[in-house]
Amino acid sequence: MRRTLAALTTGAVLLAATACGSQEADSDSGGLTTVTAGVIPIVDVAPVYLGVEQGFFEERGIDLRLESSSGGAAIVPGVISGEFDLGFSNIVSLIVARGQGLPLTTLTNGVTTTGEQGADMGGVFVQDDSSIQDAGDLEGLTVASNNLKNIGDTTVRQSVRVAGGDPSSVKFVELPFPDMPAALDSGQVDAVWAVEPFASIIRQAGHREIASNFVDTHPELSVAAYFASEQRQAEDPELFADVTAALEESMAYAQDNPDEVRRTISTYTEIDQGVIDELVLPRFPSEINRESVRTLADLMVTDGLVDSEPDLDALYGAKE
Amino acid sequence: MTETTTQGTARERPEAPAGAGGRPRGAARTGPNKPLLGAVGIVAFLGMWEAVPHLGLVSERFLPPASTVLAALAQRATTPGLWIAVGDTLIGWGLGLAIAFVAAVLLGFAMGALPRVRAFTNSTVDFLRPIPSVALIPLAILLYGTDLRSTLLLVVYACFWLIYIQVLYGVADVDPVAEQTARSYGLGRLARIRYVVWPTTLPYLMTGVRLAAAVALILAITAQLIIGSPGIGQEIAVAQSSGAVSSVYALIVATGALGVLINIGVRVLERRVLRWHTSVRGEATA
Repeated sequence: MRRTLAALTTGAVLLAATACGSQEADSDSGGLTTVTAGVIPIVDVAPVYLGVEQGFFEERGIDLRLESSSGGAAIVPGVISGEFDLGFSNIVSLIVARGQGLPLTTLTNGVTTTGEQGADMGGVFVQDDSSIQDAGDLEGLTVASNNLKNIGDTTVRQSVRVAGGDPSSVKFVELPFPDMPAALDSGQVDAVWAVEPFASIIRQAGHREIASNFVDTHPELSVAAYFASEQRQAEDPELFADVTAALEESMAYAQDNPDEVRRTISTYTEIDQGVIDELVLPRFPSEINRESVRTLADLMVTDGLVDSEPDLDALYGAKE
Repeated sequence: MTETTTQGTARERPEAPAGAGGRPRGAARTGPNKPLLGAVGIVAFLGMWEAVPHLGLVSERFLPPASTVLAALAQRATTPGLWIAVGDTLIGWGLGLAIAFVAAVLLGFAMGALPRVRAFTNSTVDFLRPIPSVALIPLAILLYGTDLRSTLLLVVYACFWLIYIQVLYGVADVDPVAEQTARSYGLGRLARIRYVVWPTTLPYLMTGVRLAAAVALILAITAQLIIGSPGIGQEIAVAQSSGAVSSVYALIVATGALGVLINIGVRVLERRVLRWHTSVRGEATA
C-alpha cells in the first residue's frame, strides 16, 4: 500500500509539473505558425472550419487551431489574456467590450443577415395559435433572448419600433437558445428570439415567425466579426495580415459553396441532418458593413446599452 | 490479527455494522438480494422514463424515451469521439484528484506537526474553504483559457479542502497513549508519523478521498460544460447548442455511468487500503 501511495504521489507530482510546464508552442515542426482561434460550435463559424480544411491557412504558413468554447464566455477574456490569437463574437459584444476599454479590433466580418424578411438566420417566433401578428403586438409581452443588453434584445426592439410598437414596454427574459423551443411550447414566454439551428427546430415544430429582427435593423447588418487584441496584432502584423487574408478567402469560399458549408456543419456540431438541410445560412461577406454597425451603435445608445456614442473607428483599428 | 479479535472489536463498536468473517444475521438476509433489488430499481426507472414521453406527459422532443437515448449512447460508443472525451474527463479527474491529494496530505501532516502554524492559518482556511469552486470559473478562463488547466484549477480547489480537512482531523485524532508509548519505545519523529499518525489518519484520509473522487468528477464535467475544456462536458455543450436532445441525454447517462464506476473503484480501494481497520472488517456487504 505504501508503494501504491508512493507511486500515486510521484505520478501526481510529475503530472503536475508537466501540466504547468506545457506552454503553447508558437511554431510546430512543419514550420507553420500555430494560431489559436476561440470559436463557438455554431453555424456561423463554418467558413473557418472550411478554410482550415481547404488549406487556406496552411498555404500562408498558419496552423489554425480552433478552440470551441461552448458558451462563448471564454472568448473575449481568452483573446485579451493571449490564450487565443483571435476570436469570434457578435458586434454588440465587441462594441461594449471596446467601450469598456478592452483593446480589441476587428479583423474581418463574421456573418451578415440574408436581408430577406421571413428567411433570415434568426427571427422572432410565437406559438402558431397566438394572437400576436407582428412585432408591434409584442408590447407588454415577454420575449426570450439568449442575453440581455445584447444584439438580440436591441434588434428585436428595433423590430417592435419598425412595426409601430413601443419597444420600452417589451419585457425581455434571459434564456439559453437550447431552452427556447420548450419555453415557447409550454407558453412560459410569449415569444422567443432564436437563431439557427434553433430557428429551424422551432419552425419545424410548427411555430410561426413574426419578425426578422436583423433585417428590420439593417438589410446588410453585420451581425458578428472575427477580432484580435491590438497588442497581439502589433507584435506580429505580418502574421495577422496573413490570418486576415486567409479568413477572407475562407468567407468567399463559404459564400460560393453553401453545400460545402452544410456538409462542414455536420463535422463540428451535432445538428440533426434534417435540420442542417433546412437551415437558413447567413451571408459571409468579409467586409464589415460599417453603415449597418453605425445603425446598431445608435440603437445601443437609444436603448441605453452604452452611455456615450461608441468609437467605432477604434473598433475597426488603424487598417483601412 | 485473528478472527476472534475482529469480532470482538466489531461488537465493542455498535455503530459499525456487525458481522465479519462469519457474516451473521443481516448479512445473510439482505446480502444476496441487494444486486437484484438494484437491478429491479434501474429497470423500473428506465420503464418510467420510457413511459413518460410515450404517454405525452413531456414532449418527446424535449425528453426522448430511454430506448432512443440508450440507442444514441450505444451508437456513440462505437465512435472514438466518446472515448476520447471519457479519457479527457478521466485525466482531468485523476490528475486533479492526485494533485489535491498530495498537497492536502503534505500540508495536513505539516500542520499536524506545527500546531502554532495551524492556529495561525485556521481563519484563512475557514474563509477559503466555503468558496464554491465554480466561483473560480472566470479566474480559470482568464488564467488558462479552455485547456485542461482550467479543469484542474476547479477540481484541485474543491478536492483539496475536502481531503485537507479530513487529514487535519485525522492527525489530531492520534491516541495520546499510543503516542506516548511510541515515544517511550524511542521512536523518532518520522517513525512516529509512519507507525502512529499515519494509521490513525488513514481512515479519515480515505473518507476525504472518497468524497473528493465524486466531487472531482462533478467539477471536471462542470468545467468542461461551462468553460469548454475538452471532455464529456464539452460534448454535452456542443450537443446542446446543436439542439441534439437525445445526444445530450446520452452523454448525461454516460456521465452517470462514469460516476458509478468511479464510486465502485474508490470503495474497492478504500477496502484494500483499510482492510485492517474495524470499519471495513466489520462491514457486511462484500
